[in-house]
Amino acid sequence: MSQATLTRRQKNALSALLRIGLNLPLVLLIMLPLIYTFMMSGMPADELYSRLIPTRMDFVSYSHVFTKTTIPRQIVNSFIVAGSVTILQMITCSMAAFAFSFLQFRGRNLVFMCILATMMVPWEATIIANYLTVSHWGWLDSYRAMILPYACSAMGIFLMRQNYLTFAKELHEAAKLDGCGNWRFLATIVIPLARPALGALGAYVFLQQWNQYLWPLLVTNSDKVRTVQIGISQLYDIDSEQIGLMMAGVVVVLIPSLSIFIFMQKQLINGLMAGAVKG
Amino acid sequence: MTRMKAFTVRRKKTLYETIEPWLFLLPALIIFAVFLYYPFFKTIYLSTYLTNKYGEPKVFYELQNYLDILVGKYSAAFWNSMWVTLRFVFFVAFGSLLVGLTTSLLTARKFPARAFASAIYAMPIAIASAAAAMSFKMIFHPSIGLVNRLAGTRTNWLNDPAWAFPIICVISIWLASGINFIFISAGLRNIPDELYESAAIDGAGYWHQQRHITLPSLSPTLFFQIIINIISAFQSFTQVRLLTSGGPNETTNVIVYSIYLDAFRNFRFGSAAARSIVLFVIIMIITLLQFRAEKRSVHYQ
Repeated sequence: MSQATLTRRQKNALSALLRIGLNLPLVLLIMLPLIYTFMMSGMPADELYSRLIPTRMDFVSYSHVFTKTTIPRQIVNSFIVAGSVTILQMITCSMAAFAFSFLQFRGRNLVFMCILATMMVPWEATIIANYLTVSHWGWLDSYRAMILPYACSAMGIFLMRQNYLTFAKELHEAAKLDGCGNWRFLATIVIPLARPALGALGAYVFLQQWNQYLWPLLVTNSDKVRTVQIGISQLYDIDSEQIGLMMAGVVVVLIPSLSIFIFMQKQLINGLMAGAVKG
Repeated sequence: MTRMKAFTVRRKKTLYETIEPWLFLLPALIIFAVFLYYPFFKTIYLSTYLTNKYGEPKVFYELQNYLDILVGKYSAAFWNSMWVTLRFVFFVAFGSLLVGLTTSLLTARKFPARAFASAIYAMPIAIASAAAAMSFKMIFHPSIGLVNRLAGTRTNWLNDPAWAFPIICVISIWLASGINFIFISAGLRNIPDELYESAAIDGAGYWHQQRHITLPSLSPTLFFQIIINIISAFQSFTQVRLLTSGGPNETTNVIVYSIYLDAFRNFRFGSAAARSIVLFVIIMIITLLQFRAEKRSVHYQ
């Protein structure tokens, strides 16, 4: 065999080359929709119908996104909704998880089971009734209609509880002996220790909310509160200028989510791992 | 220490100590009660009624909504969307698993730029289905889309009954490939290196190792992942609404989209609720199957 004559170093180099060669086409394929979107967002209008790859990039579509459309307002809306849901879930989930991991009370296991059971209920089984409730209350077209239904999640409680359970029980005993009440114990000792879990929860929830489509579509009808995912889907229109505009809108909307992915990858993946229990 | 513990247990709790745990749970319980338990039971209730267009139950309809979709006047459309959904779920669940498995195996060992490749393979988890749908809309654009440019055709792919369904599957596989990559990679990392080392000493080649070490060790991960894929594929909506609106000729009308149409276009909330409950039952059965299988694998260990 000819390979037998190769040194170990040559073999390693060959294997690295092989891996690069196999990965490269796949990486390009997975990135293709994004590369193409970016390319189209900068395609000069006069080349749109004549060329596949633009000869130069023209970023006028981006300035149009910010001056001629409702996208800027909708970006703000998305930040308000996703940010509020994230903060609320951090609060409600860390509180509930605290009760389940540090406090003893009658019915604890039963309540915990009831909360875990909600993970089995898919959103389709509640969305129609939720829509009717929210519209009955006159909440249509408001931030609270988008925020409050998501202000807590079983997945978040579960994730925080798993984290709290790793803390030493003696911590709580010592705090009690020092006369530190449960609220202060949660706020000053548990929360700072649980920062990595909170980060995972936050990254996951923010991304999920930023990418939400159906619920905001149902409960809003004006650009005043509409979120940006719906905004970009409404930019679609067949005319040469609009295509660049639409693709620029997609890129703009992807920036926050891809930033979270790049800068908080570890937290995000930890959150996903906990969230996947729900599916 | 034990004596002190016994003492604390025997001491009678004050009223505040008794209710304090519930104060910690209160926000969570209110949200769940209002937006999860109540609407869940209300959906069941609605599914036995005919409603007006505001969703107010008007006529008690017993199980007629279910009969209408399963065997009655809406059954043709319902079974069509069921069949579309099942095929869609099958292709997406296995397709994204296959992509995830391939990308995980390709990045399982060190090579230059491995971190970059891994990041790209995981990236679809961050991408919104609405943004992805707009991008795919351009790729398959009838006059200036990438595919038509490369193929030299002017096909309206998304309006073509033969092509709309596979395109919806491809975008869904792309979106789901990231999470598959992440979980399968994690599963791969948990396989002890010694297994491969001793196999290599015994002279086992790459494919032999994958077949006899990787696949068996990875099968619980793959099983778990396929269930996750099935459940989330059943719930796909955005890409269908934005790319094909369930068309052409109902070839992409998956069940969630048909629920949406029923409730929010035709204002038949009772019938839509019945469809939701049918979907809920399907998903619950799959989840329970997973629980049972997981329990069994724990016993084996």
